[in-house]
Amino acid sequence: MGKKTAKQIAIYGKGGIGKSTTTSNISAALVEAGYKVMQFGCDPKADSTNTLRGGEYIPSVLDLLRENARVDAHDAVFQGFKGVYCVEAGGPQPGVGCAGRGIITAVELLKQQNIFEELDLDYVIYDVLGDVVCGGFAVPVREGIAEHVFTISSADFMAIYAANNLFRGIKTYSSKGGALLGGVIANSINSDFHRHIVDDFVERTQTQVVEYIPRSLTVTQAELQGKTTIEAAPNSEQAAIYRRLANKIADHTESKVPSPLDAKELREWSSSWADQLIEIERKTQYVAVDA
Amino acid sequence: MSIVDTEDKVSPVTETTSKKTNSIEQVRYGCAIGAMQSVAAIPRAIPITHCGPGCSDKQFMNLAFYNGFQGGGYGGGAVAPSTNASEREVVFGGAQRLSDLIESGLEILEADLFVVLTGCIPDLVGDDVGSVVTPFQKQGVPIAFAETGGFKGNNFTGHELVTRAIIDQYVGDYVGPKTKGLVNVWSLLPYHNTFWRGDLTEIKRTLEGAGFKVNILFGPESEGVSEWKAIPQAEFNIVLGPWLGLATARHLEQKYGQRFLHVPVLPIGAHETTSFLRTVADFAGLKTKSSRKKLESFIQDEETRYYKYLEDFTDFYAEYWWGLPAKFAVIGDSAYNLALTKFLVNQLGLIPGRQIITDNPPDEFRDEIRSYYRAIAEDVSTEVEFEEDSYAIHQILRQTDFGHKPPVIFGTTWERDLAKELKGAIVEVGFPTSYEVVLSRSYIGYRGALTLLEKIYTTTVSASA
Ligand SMILES: Nc1ncnc2c1ncn2[C@@H]1O[C@H](COP(=O)(O)OP(=O)(O)OP(=O)(O)O)[C@@H](O)[C@H]1O
Ligand SMILES: [Mg+2]
Repeated sequence: MGKKTAKQIAIYGKGGIGKSTTTSNISAALVEAGYKVMQFGCDPKADSTNTLRGGEYIPSVLDLLRENARVDAHDAVFQGFKGVYCVEAGGPQPGVGCAGRGIITAVELLKQQNIFEELDLDYVIYDVLGDVVCGGFAVPVREGIAEHVFTISSADFMAIYAANNLFRGIKTYSSKGGALLGGVIANSINSDFHRHIVDDFVERTQTQVVEYIPRSLTVTQAELQGKTTIEAAPNSEQAAIYRRLANKIADHTESKVPSPLDAKELREWSSSWADQLIEIERKTQYVAVDA
Repeated sequence: MSIVDTEDKVSPVTETTSKKTNSIEQVRYGCAIGAMQSVAAIPRAIPITHCGPGCSDKQFMNLAFYNGFQGGGYGGGAVAPSTNASEREVVFGGAQRLSDLIESGLEILEADLFVVLTGCIPDLVGDDVGSVVTPFQKQGVPIAFAETGGFKGNNFTGHELVTRAIIDQYVGDYVGPKTKGLVNVWSLLPYHNTFWRGDLTEIKRTLEGAGFKVNILFGPESEGVSEWKAIPQAEFNIVLGPWLGLATARHLEQKYGQRFLHVPVLPIGAHETTSFLRTVADFAGLKTKSSRKKLESFIQDEETRYYKYLEDFTDFYAEYWWGLPAKFAVIGDSAYNLALTKFLVNQLGLIPGRQIITDNPPDEFRDEIRSYYRAIAEDVSTEVEFEEDSYAIHQILRQTDFGHKPPVIFGTTWERDLAKELKGAIVEVGFPTSYEVVLSRSYIGYRGALTLLEKIYTTTVSASA
């Protein structure tokens, strides 16, 4: 019997939206469940896997490449929580060089040296830098790398804009054998109102919400200890949510081409929600005065 | 004067064939970084290229080797140091590597001026080349830099970028007196134009004969960086050619308050050259009796010699007429294209069959260029086309009616097979000229025109044997 091929998943989303936190918790939940998992940070900051390794930074693929002309990809692979494999692509100093090309170089290096097969991985999860500003950051969704893409978004309009942009990227590559969209991971959802905004957006773009994750202090506390929520607070409600998300992603098989909104539609859509916001605000004020 | 007059009408431009293709077959120019050879054209100047491996070599081989086999010069070609940027420079930026290269280059190379030219990689990645070069400049190193990534345009664009970089970063500001009678000349593109060395020599010789002091700036007759330093002292600039150099002249007008004279047609033959020299003299406001006398006696001397030879040539021309082509085509850069067309129509009475300009002049110059062709002679107007793809060019030529005699084609090596196909003669006059060795030969001015006549008619006569 031939070797299994790892299921490769890419997680995108606006800067600071919670990609690394969520991805690390998914990875932690999957290793905990007995899978062989690699988390691949595709971000020049090289901080994606920190909470899987007690808050510690690891040398990135590009750090190694900066020092040596030839790099053994094994030197860039580190283990963390329950044996999870951690890799950081890394990149140039801010403001110089080409970070996008760096991502391509790092991903190709691991692919060329057959690391995924050698480690007999079940899952490779790419945590990719926010906005897909150039071709390099789109590399995980191109043919032959990740099959499924998930977007993390809150109910903030800027986060939704970023998600919509990503959908456009996916759509572009979809006809060329690229990855398809698994759905949206709704982060920092603490009210019905937030939930409605995200629900409405996924409906319009013909995708789905995979999980709603509340904003929680447990996450912050875990992060301060350099840990994932799964590791630091395994019995918490938040850990249960991350496990549920990880299960859904593990079971997920069918991804689709999304229908991103064009610039005009997006503007109209967000202003309609803004009107509703004002309406709600006005009502609550009215009630307050009346009471 | 006109040896033979012509009333013939010119065949119209074919619209069908000039449809744009999305590819270029058999290139007719280099990349912007090909302007490394413009640096090499300045005596004792060395280009430093910051680009991927192969970029500079390819430019040099194309522009300077398989084009008249001119050689790389003191600092061009294989001498020019290069960063040979690889993946590491792409990802992390190539600034440090460039800095190291300049530093070690300074140790082993002796030059009066270095110019860093960037290729596509650093320009795309966004290397801050200025911040690498400026510290060297501050230490007093004669060095300038130009961003010449391929997407900026071709080597003509690169040439203007390099010229401007040297003026702004090396020549610098100037307040002081102008030197009476000193002129700067901006004309042919060095190396790209196969005959630039001989031609610039002839331009300098004639202008000096007419009483001017000349900063020719490029080529064997240039004094190198001292001429460049003297640019601001010149009384005015001469742009000799349809468009190249105009941007530089406009810049100098702003920077140093220098006027400029634009003469679109490079002078070939006594008629044009004399008129060129008088135009320059008028522009300079030469009025004193002695200065006018110097000019006119030089002209007379040159014309006497020129027409003596032409008289001898007339015997051949009158007797051999049946074996000579009547129509011609010119395929080449705008400078030579226009100059040759003018000479062939006005001086030899040949009929323009097809003129195709291949150097991709910026759009804003094209209408003006068209107008020169429409007034090519008092009684001859012709149309010019702009095309860079050799496939399209050759299709146009195949569809051209050259009459019952085979045409003479003034073109490049790319037209050799086509000339055979059309049973015509080929005179290679532009990039690439891969089957001629060209050293000091010139085709312009008083002397060059005679060489050109020799070349044209040797080619046509020898084809009959
Ligand atoms: N559900 C949540 N509850 C509480 N805090 C959260 C939650 N999700 C993310 N955070 C916090 O938000 C901050 C940013 O998260 P994270 O670093 O994961 O974002 P990111 O999308 O990876 O950012 P970047 O684009 O900078 O890489 C962190 O401090 C993280 O702890
Ligand atoms: Mg992150």
